[in-house]
Parts: sequence; C-alpha cells; structure tokens
Amino acid sequence: MMLIHCPYCGERRPEIEFAYAGEAHVARPVDPSAYTDEEWERFLFIRANPRGRHNERWRHIHGCGRFFNAVRDTVTDKFETTYKAGEPRK
Amino acid sequence: MSDLLLRNEPDCAGFAGEGAGVAIRLAEPMARYSLRARDAQVLEDLIGLAVPRAIGATLGDMACLGPDGWLLCASVGTVLPSGSDLPVAITDVSERAVRLLVEGPRAGEVLMAGCPIDLDRFAVGRATRTVFETVEIVVWRLRDDAFAVEVWRSFAPWLRLALVHAAG
Repeated sequence: MMLIHCPYCGERRPEIEFAYAGEAHVARPVDPSAYTDEEWERFLFIRANPRGRHNERWRHIHGCGRFFNAVRDTVTDKFETTYKAGEPRK
Repeated sequence: MSDLLLRNEPDCAGFAGEGAGVAIRLAEPMARYSLRARDAQVLEDLIGLAVPRAIGATLGDMACLGPDGWLLCASVGTVLPSGSDLPVAITDVSERAVRLLVEGPRAGEVLMAGCPIDLDRFAVGRATRTVFETVEIVVWRLRDDAFAVEVWRSFAPWLRLALVHAAG
C-alpha cells in the first residue's frame, strides 16, 4: 500500500485514508456575476490534465479531515511532495 | 440523551475466545461530543477543560483528531455549553458511535488485520481516526494491551464480526 505524507498530521499514512479532490490552485472567481459563459466554462471544466508532474488536492478524510495539496507524477503515481492548503504552488 | 428513551444497542455480543489472547466487548454507553474550533484557546476557555494541541494526542477524555477537531468521550450525563456566541461548533454525537473494547496481548495484531496503521508503534494514549477495511473508526490506545475502537453504530455488528474472525 502506498503511503502519503499528510502535512497536518506530519506523518506518512496509508493511501486508503485519503481522497483525491481534483486539480489544485483553481482560483474561484472573485466576482462571479461578472463572469462570461466562456470564463465559467474554463473555471468549471477546463483542467490541465498533464502527463507527469501534477499539482492536485487531496483530503485526509479518514484521518484529520483536512484538504491539502500534493505534487504527484501522473505516470509513475509517485508523490513528490505535499504541502498545506494556502501555501504557494510547489 | 434522554433517560426516557429505550436504549437499542447494536448486536455485539462479547467475545473472549479460549486461548485467543484477545477479548472484544461493547463498552458502556458514553456521552460523546464533537468539538470544532480554529482557536483551541477559545474552546478551552468555554468548556473549562484542557484541550490537547497535537493531532493524535489525548488529554483525559479528549482526543485531538485534526488541526481544528476534537472528540470528547466522557461519562453519561456530561453536558458541555453550546458556545452559540463563539466561533466554535460543539455537537452532541453520543448516539452516533459505539465503543468496542479490544483487550489482550493480541489486541493490536487483531486490529491490524484490517487497520493499515502500524499499531505496534502506536503509543499508549494516542488516538486517531483511521479505517478498518473500509469502515471509518477512531482507534484510541488505552493501555499497552487495550484499544478502544469508536465506530459508527450501524457498522458495529460487522466490525465486531470481522474482529472475531481475525481473532480466529
């Protein structure tokens, strides 16, 4: 079983305690009512979907319950690093 | 929790297998509170109990499960203030979960049949939310050879059966 480092618990925990939560650093619209359809489309549906290094959100749902960000390689499934929500992109 | 209500405990008959090295039984009913607060100090001032700060730490009846979440498992009748005017969330979850006590020299081994955490290196007095197979549990190490397992009520009969099977 793969172990994932939770930046809040400060330890490596089994992957089945975690849930994937999509791409990280997708900023919410500051002024939603001013968004055009194209901007909504980009915000809601358009994702980077890279082959390789990917910044993504994870949640330690069966643990401390917190969302955090991780850098994972989508080819090898290896986690490069994890960091707390709100910290700059790594 | 009202004394007028009939208690309906899940079907969790005690298990103490001959030579199994482990005993499993349902604990007495408890008062449980889920406590949430960004600032632990606010919580401490409100309820008048010391609050553990490190995730996984316990202090008396209280376990710190997350950076802003705690679980209090106290004797029946414990009542906490609601803190309605403060940025805290204190919720009575007494009937949400039941507690299975897993005791004996093989307690950790039996739990590790379905729990992916290394309980051999899980210090006494530590508590954490985790999973058993796919069921969410809270493991609390009471003593070297005793674990308390908090599990949501409807999962309890299955968890008890799985533990008994693991105990062989």
